[in-house]
Amino acid sequence: MSTSPVMKLADDIAAQFRHYPPRAAAASIANHIRQFWDPRMCSQLKTQVAEDGADCDPNVIAAIQLLNATER
Amino acid sequence: MITVYVPHDSAAKSVGADDVADALERAAAAAGQHIKLVRNGTRGMLWLEPLVEVATEGGRVGYGPVRADDVDELVRSGMLEGAGHDLYLGLVEELPWMRDQQRLCLARVGVTDPLSPNDYLGHGGLAGLQRALELDPADVIAEVTESGLRGRGGAGFPAGIKWKTVSETEGELKFVCCNADEGDGGTFADRMVMEGDPFCLLEGMAIAAYAVGAREGYIYLRSEYPDAATAIRAAIEIARDEGWLGDDVLGSGFSFDIHLRIGGGAYICGEETSMLDSLEGKRGMVRPKPPIPAITGLFGKPTVVNNVLTLASVPTILAQGGEAYAALGVERSRGTQVFQLAGNIARGGAFETAFGISLADLVHEYGGGTRSGRPVRAVQVGGPLGPYLPGSQLDLPTDYEAFDAADAMLGHGGIVVFDDTADMAAMARFAMEFCAEESCGKCTPCRVGSVRGVETIDKIINGEDTDGNLGLLNDLCDLMTEGSLCAMGGLTPNPVKSALSHFPEDFTQKREVHQEEAR
Amino acid sequence: MTLFKEPDLGTPAPPEGAPPVAVEVDGLPVTVPEGTSVLRAAALAGVEIPKLCATDSLDAFGSCRLCLVEIDGRRGTPASCTTPVAAGMQVRTQSSKLEKLRQGVMELYISDHPLDCLTCPANGDCELQDMAGVVGLRQVRYGYEGANHLDLEIDHSNPYFDFDPSKCISCSRCVRACGEVQGTFALTIEGRGFESKVSAGAGELFADSECVSCGACVAACPTSTLQEKSVVDLGIPNRTVKTTCAYCGVGCSFKAELRGDELVRMVPDKDGGANEGHACVKGRFAFGYATHPDRVLSPMIREKITDEWREVDWDTAITYVADKMREIQSSHGPGAIGGITSSRCTNEDVYVVQKMVRAAFGNNNVDTCARVCHSPTGYGLKQTFGESAGTQDFRSVAKSDVIVVIGANPTDGHPVFASRMKRRLREGAKLVVIDPRRIDLVRSPHIEAEYHLPVAPGTNVALVNALAHVVVTEDLVDREFVDARCEDFEAWAEFIAQPQNSPEATEEITGIPAQDVRAVARMYATGGNAAIYYGLGVTEHSQGSTMVMGMANLAMATGNIGRDGVGVNPLRGQNNVQGSCDMGSFPHELPGYRHVSDDAVREVFENLWQRPLIPEPGLRIPNMFDSALDGSFRGLYVQGEDIAQSDPNTGHVDAALRSLDLLVVQDLFINETAKLAHVFLPGTSFLEKDGTFTNAERRINRVRPVMAPMTGKHEWQIPCEIAQAMGYDMSYDDPSEIMEEIASLTPTFTGVSFEKLDKLGSVQWPCNTEAPEGTPIMHVDEFVRGKGKFITTTFVPTNERSTRKFPLILTTGRILSQYNVGAQTRRTHNVHWHKEDVLEIHPHDAEVRGIDDGSEVTITSRTGETMLRAVISDRMPTGVVYTTFHYPLSGANVVTTDNSDWATNCPEYKVTAVQVMLGSRAANGVSSEATAHAASSDEGVER
Repeated sequence: MSTSPVMKLADDIAAQFRHYPPRAAAASIANHIRQFWDPRMCSQLKTQVAEDGADCDPNVIAAIQLLNATER
Repeated sequence: MITVYVPHDSAAKSVGADDVADALERAAAAAGQHIKLVRNGTRGMLWLEPLVEVATEGGRVGYGPVRADDVDELVRSGMLEGAGHDLYLGLVEELPWMRDQQRLCLARVGVTDPLSPNDYLGHGGLAGLQRALELDPADVIAEVTESGLRGRGGAGFPAGIKWKTVSETEGELKFVCCNADEGDGGTFADRMVMEGDPFCLLEGMAIAAYAVGAREGYIYLRSEYPDAATAIRAAIEIARDEGWLGDDVLGSGFSFDIHLRIGGGAYICGEETSMLDSLEGKRGMVRPKPPIPAITGLFGKPTVVNNVLTLASVPTILAQGGEAYAALGVERSRGTQVFQLAGNIARGGAFETAFGISLADLVHEYGGGTRSGRPVRAVQVGGPLGPYLPGSQLDLPTDYEAFDAADAMLGHGGIVVFDDTADMAAMARFAMEFCAEESCGKCTPCRVGSVRGVETIDKIINGEDTDGNLGLLNDLCDLMTEGSLCAMGGLTPNPVKSALSHFPEDFTQKREVHQEEAR
Repeated sequence: MTLFKEPDLGTPAPPEGAPPVAVEVDGLPVTVPEGTSVLRAAALAGVEIPKLCATDSLDAFGSCRLCLVEIDGRRGTPASCTTPVAAGMQVRTQSSKLEKLRQGVMELYISDHPLDCLTCPANGDCELQDMAGVVGLRQVRYGYEGANHLDLEIDHSNPYFDFDPSKCISCSRCVRACGEVQGTFALTIEGRGFESKVSAGAGELFADSECVSCGACVAACPTSTLQEKSVVDLGIPNRTVKTTCAYCGVGCSFKAELRGDELVRMVPDKDGGANEGHACVKGRFAFGYATHPDRVLSPMIREKITDEWREVDWDTAITYVADKMREIQSSHGPGAIGGITSSRCTNEDVYVVQKMVRAAFGNNNVDTCARVCHSPTGYGLKQTFGESAGTQDFRSVAKSDVIVVIGANPTDGHPVFASRMKRRLREGAKLVVIDPRRIDLVRSPHIEAEYHLPVAPGTNVALVNALAHVVVTEDLVDREFVDARCEDFEAWAEFIAQPQNSPEATEEITGIPAQDVRAVARMYATGGNAAIYYGLGVTEHSQGSTMVMGMANLAMATGNIGRDGVGVNPLRGQNNVQGSCDMGSFPHELPGYRHVSDDAVREVFENLWQRPLIPEPGLRIPNMFDSALDGSFRGLYVQGEDIAQSDPNTGHVDAALRSLDLLVVQDLFINETAKLAHVFLPGTSFLEKDGTFTNAERRINRVRPVMAPMTGKHEWQIPCEIAQAMGYDMSYDDPSEIMEEIASLTPTFTGVSFEKLDKLGSVQWPCNTEAPEGTPIMHVDEFVRGKGKFITTTFVPTNERSTRKFPLILTTGRILSQYNVGAQTRRTHNVHWHKEDVLEIHPHDAEVRGIDDGSEVTITSRTGETMLRAVISDRMPTGVVYTTFHYPLSGANVVTTDNSDWATNCPEYKVTAVQVMLGSRAANGVSSEATAHAASSDEGVER
């Protein structure tokens, strides 16, 4: 499976929080992305997950929802 | 069954004791006699070795010196019953040499089977340790202090004070080290004790350890003493088996063990700080003092460093009390010293007696003068770095301070005798050469000075600018005395300066010749 | 200044805290701490006692016997170096007797010394010569015909210094320096008495011995016996410039000694806080690259990277860069350009680059090479302790009782700190080494690790969790510390106590027996002051940041933080990697580690810089590469870093750089990156720089110019001029003004100025009104973030795993004589020790592959392939191979992958699954990426 760099990185981040309860995990992932990612990467992630996010970590998808929510 | 003693001491063996022992067993078997052969230590009458002793009802009678060839005839003529013979000496204990001694260190040496625990106990062994363990460690130290025991290695430092320093220095880990690097020519008493009564040394170390709070001891033995190594090694094993060493010494709860370490052949490792370096696995180099080993010793821990004879004197002191020991001797030299007579001497050997006996008595009365029969020209006391005393000044009492006052050195009590054929300039040169050979190389006065000393003495002997070079030699001697890091370089001028002052004629023989040539 | 000579007080200071003792020396009263030698007390009273074997960097030895004195009430003439003072002591240093003795000693020395003072390289810098004068030696009555050492031959084998035994006075200062200061014990005295002779090992040549060429012996030698070849060639220097080494993160202070304008030698500065007079082969000797003919001194331009370079003047080059950058921004957006700062450059150099990016480029696309080394340190320590830096000063190690070295190889990577650590270990501190490879420290002279845990690469977090598990479940937690100083402990303790974190459970993952883990945890928790020192073996992993937090948790749980002797300490790789991070080189942080999203912080900068700043993070280096490949990032300014060689997955980096419209490289040499550049701006070496470096202990040291910039321009001026050409006014008259600006903007730097540094020598940040002289130890009463925060650290195995196709794990490191990509050290005589990178492989792994020592082997990973020579070594565990990356030819990074730390994108250099095969595929006609890459490296760079 070949994933894009941002999706791979998002999955790596999610793995670190897998031992958290899902809601806390999603919040931590979203917070990390907000703090350390260039917004370009963030929007790439959103696009790519939307297009091809079937295998994506569910906590990443939850994190994206959180990121979208704060932007609004 | 008849008990026969043939020394196992390496001095006796060097003159055929093993062959004598073999011959005795063969001869006794051939004669149908059952004998019990004991390989004892030497009595110290080396001119009589191999000295065979036979236990009789009246006591042990001696024959010597016995050669293997003599044995058959001796057995035939009734030696095993103590019968007379040309080599018959009578009761050994009654020989003047033996009778006149006060043998404390050497009490069991030559008497017992060195590795028999029963013999050891039967002759007063462990009485000192037992008493020590009943005392407070501080009281053990007080006893040793009261005895006036001073270091027998040469420096004569009070043992009690050294122990007190170690005991009062903070530290979980402390050591007791026995300096058994007996390297001076003409000395052999340490070896005699180690081969002839090794348990006595171990007991002395255990007492020291108890007194200062050490749990581990090391014996640093010179590699030239393989027989002593064998004896000590075996004695340590036996002592551990007997519970004299180990986790619970004599059931007291006190824990102490001893390890034997063999040196690498360097004379300087007889100097205590070099010895510690060597024990630590380093190249033996002199350390500056302070810090003294009592405070910063082996692996930087408080350490008792004592000579074999010092430690071997301790069991008696504890057994009989410090006061009894101090009753012997003179002035500040208390107790006994094992004097070792060697060199050009008729009767060489070890003679233990209270301090105070005169050098003349030792050399003439007991030693019998020179072996060559010629007049005594010089005597060197205290090893190769001791000053030479002229034959005319031997009425000196053996007392540390009296020797000091006479610009002499009692040291470890080794006495080497020279007759009137000795070339004292050559002896002075030898002292410098010895220093050059054995210097550790650390300090400049010793490392370079000793080599320049030999060269300068050569120039003097050759008559080159004799006065100038005598002045230079004198300055060099002062520099080495005052400036050397340790006693090696510091004492080397002793024999040189004493030879110069007592025998100046030996140095200036060629002066006239040279002056003649110069003209 | 003229040639600076530190006073030599003869013997070291006694341990701190000794009570004072009053004595009199020649009637002069002096009060010194107990334990001070008479020699030192005299020196402090202003009385110089003649001496040769004594020097204050070494313990007293007492061998030369020149320093003899007379003391009232004492017999004889004791050596003042080995005699400690006692209360009320009256010392006389001069008398006719002493004079005679000293002359006697000198007379002996000179009777065995060549009489060639006038032609000796040390003429004028020789203590023997000085002492002969001081003691008034007038004649040598022994003559010169006696036994001597004058015929001994000079050993020229070391590339940097000569050993002339005919001039040796057997003072053992070299031997002692090698042991006491450096801790290598390569030198010894061979023979006894007059035959005593200094020897490197068993009569070997210096170059063939265990000698590591740190130069401690040369510095200690009082004569010309051990002498820098540069002094032999050029003569004695006549002026000194104090500056700071530009190699590793230890940041040693040096006296650059010049003769006129020519640098003769670098001598470690006794006053240097980091090194206290010690050095290593790189800092001490390997400075020749600064004037190497390979250096490019004029700006160069080319339209396409296939074009020839064209030399241009500075104005042309700067205008060209500015125009191109603006052009890219106008056609591809303001975020299409960015910059990378260098950890080799000064704080001032770095600060202006990030300012150029933020203020003139108008974005946050600035990153630094710390991205690929210690970015996880910044992240992990900030999250837990609140500050992105090590907690201790180097001096602290002297108070440690248990030292845990994790994923670091100090004797090669940080040799001067390693020497300080080894000194403490020889004093009895216990050592634990956690590293797959059996590094030298595990067993070296007079040092042996209590435990070496050869952890499987990529499983650090499992191990640190197991250690913490033991601390928590065996009740070894420092509850008092935790309750008073920390937060979130309970949740962490509950997590860490779970059975999957037990040593028994992790044994299979890490390969470390459970009982060893338990023993180490107990030792760390209960053995007194326990300190962790770590390196890139911690950070360069997919869980690098997690591991840093794991170590921080462990330190907090056991109370090993906030005082001397403890702490969590990164051993920083590059001279100014701490500084470049401090200076706001990360895309999410402004100087002082303050997040760009913090409105109040941004406002401070916006007010001073007069530009609006973006509140969101910019691109990190790997993101820049990814964005370059997708076309959204097109212009890059690279300051002094060779990303094409040092960054992982070379193929990917190469493609990314080739896709840029403008690549600007500022460097000393045409490095691998410069080969893909459009503009080359010549940089300056540390010898030309004026500014500051910040080392691994947060120590800000001055870098002072030893020579004028060979390029005609200071490096800090270049970004300023580019910014100006882009329409942003940014100018300074002097680098001290840049530091003033930094201090005005950064709370941890408010007390820092060049003036203060010149006065104090150095300061450790935070340096502000609360700590005007700096902060050696951090988090003393409270953590920078208030409470120390426990963070749960779950172990997530790396994606990079050995398989049948790639059965071995490749890990990387460095070697003592070389530095990083080797751009500097390869251009010095250090190649003497390391002519090429090699692959270390365990005998078993070699045997099954038919590989012999010295065989050419091919290393293949999922990303690429390269060739190296094999060295069979049982330092490696089976299944793990090891190489260095000092030579472009080796292409170590051709095979490394683009896996990275989840939090910071720091590449996972330390874990690459590979296969190793005997022989070369290229030789069989199959061209490989590495060999193609290597071929291009040969052009113009390597000579």
